[in-house]
Amino acid sequence: MIGVGFLILLPILFVNDPDYMSLITSANILAAIAIPLAWQMSGIGRMNFGPQFFVGIGGFTAALLSIHWGWGPWQTLGVVVLFSLCLGLLLSPLTTIAHGLYFSLITLILPLMFLEVTFVYNETFQGETGLYGIAPFLELDNILIEQTVLCYCSLGLMLLFLYIVDKTLRSRIGLFAAAINDEEDVADACGLNINFWKMLCFTITSVMIGIAGWFLAHHDGTFAGITYLPLPFMIKILLVVIIGGRGELYGAIVGAYFVTILERVLTVLGAVNYVIFPLILLILLFTLPEGLYGLYRKHKYREYYPTMRVRKR
Amino acid sequence: MFDSIQYVLVYGFILGSIYLLISLGFTIVCGVLRVFHMGYGAVFVVAVYTMWMLMDTFHLSLFAAMAGMFILQILFTLSVIYFPVVKRYFEREELLLTSLILISFIVEEAANFFYPESAGVDIPTMILSGTARIGSSSIPYQLLIASGVSVITTAVFVLYLLKTRQGLVIRAVSQDLESAELMGAKVGLTHALAMVLSIIPPTICILVIAPVWGIEPTMGTSLLMTAIMVSILGGLGNIKGSIIASYIVGFLSSSVAFLVNPRMMGLATLFVVFVVLIFKPTGIAKNESIW
Repeated sequence: MIGVGFLILLPILFVNDPDYMSLITSANILAAIAIPLAWQMSGIGRMNFGPQFFVGIGGFTAALLSIHWGWGPWQTLGVVVLFSLCLGLLLSPLTTIAHGLYFSLITLILPLMFLEVTFVYNETFQGETGLYGIAPFLELDNILIEQTVLCYCSLGLMLLFLYIVDKTLRSRIGLFAAAINDEEDVADACGLNINFWKMLCFTITSVMIGIAGWFLAHHDGTFAGITYLPLPFMIKILLVVIIGGRGELYGAIVGAYFVTILERVLTVLGAVNYVIFPLILLILLFTLPEGLYGLYRKHKYREYYPTMRVRKR
Repeated sequence: MFDSIQYVLVYGFILGSIYLLISLGFTIVCGVLRVFHMGYGAVFVVAVYTMWMLMDTFHLSLFAAMAGMFILQILFTLSVIYFPVVKRYFEREELLLTSLILISFIVEEAANFFYPESAGVDIPTMILSGTARIGSSSIPYQLLIASGVSVITTAVFVLYLLKTRQGLVIRAVSQDLESAELMGAKVGLTHALAMVLSIIPPTICILVIAPVWGIEPTMGTSLLMTAIMVSILGGLGNIKGSIIASYIVGFLSSSVAFLVNPRMMGLATLFVVFVVLIFKPTGIAKNESIW
């Protein structure tokens, strides 16, 4: 609760600085993607290397509907949810047919295929430059107030996701997710319908990530596949999850804020910051095996520590 | 139409050979260590930029720079990738993969910082300039040489694996790590050797294609993706499968480029690999060992 209170107060401290306000918004959106991903990784017992695919689905759906049909954010939201849900359901059997590394590879390829599609069908997706002219959430005369409202909207979205996932993982579903994550065969032998729970987890989290993409499109007024679909964005999300604290929901928020702020702070170093930034993250990876959240939990017993599996077994 | 088919066949073979050279090292790491080497792209960048550094800053001759670059590559692989990351996080996959990706990023960004595209990095490894004519197709000699180098390098590696004692140990470790260890194989040493061997094909590849292929600090990511595609299609870590898969991808790319739409080359390959992953995840190879 103290952390949430701090996050609510934080934008007020920078209310006169649009730069910091957009920084906090970016961190919130990154956390909004990382939170469902953290649930997904434990809930399906596999590592998703392409969460940005659904960011692209959400973003492009919103962008195309808004640009071509003039739809506003609340109208596009319904379609984004529906489309992400259908696509999530369609792809969810992958969680049962593709094991370990193969699942990771399929999810790695999906966003790259989508990126290629945006280049091939350049007239539709504007793969090189991105789509622009997307209806904004709100247009106010005062840019500072507008940024503050949008910042709180992003915070609201992130906290909503946190609440949903936190409640879910504390329920019986969380127990099922842990059982599937630890040993699928044993969970199956105990009578758990693992296929159902894995597909459900994948679909719901995909919809949540799609909504984050929808938010990005309407927040920025522009959406480019080249920004969100290639590997660097995936790596950023992955780092948020791992640096924050593997599979730890609150760690994802810490990770998102840390990675976003660190990236911005290091820009004062000039061009060398692009080298220093991944270097610092690598050092952190080496020195903090439980991530930044592990520092807070250092002296506390951790009830459950999810395993992240990639390699073929 | 006949001309197009001729182009497809010639460029299919050339592309397939180059893809084979790009992916061979990745396949070796996958096959022997059972590690998905996400830092593989850094090998290409280290090769080009250390060589350029040795020539431009230290004024070494081409061959001295090449020798120095190979030594630095081996040191980089062992002291930055194998011992601190691969060996340490062998059982902790998420940390292993993330660390390898980060190292690759650091290398690319460091290369970009010291030698940005405007620095005009140029590796003078052109063996033969000009173009040859095969039927109605004209092909740069350098690409034909690259194809030949690829076939020879692969043959040397296959012979090494099949005919030498060390090759036998590598195959044994690849087939069953625990059993090989019980039979006296030094697994740690074999893994380190496989890591060193894995840098040879991509280094040779980038040196040969550098004069005709674009060089930029971020090239590692796209070359890594090529290696991943070929390895998946061939069956992770199997050289036989990778050889077949390289030429399949090569002919597929040239067919799409010359007969359909060049913009769809990447999409076609990704689509085929995606379908293979879903319906036959083990790829072309019949087993998961290196040969």
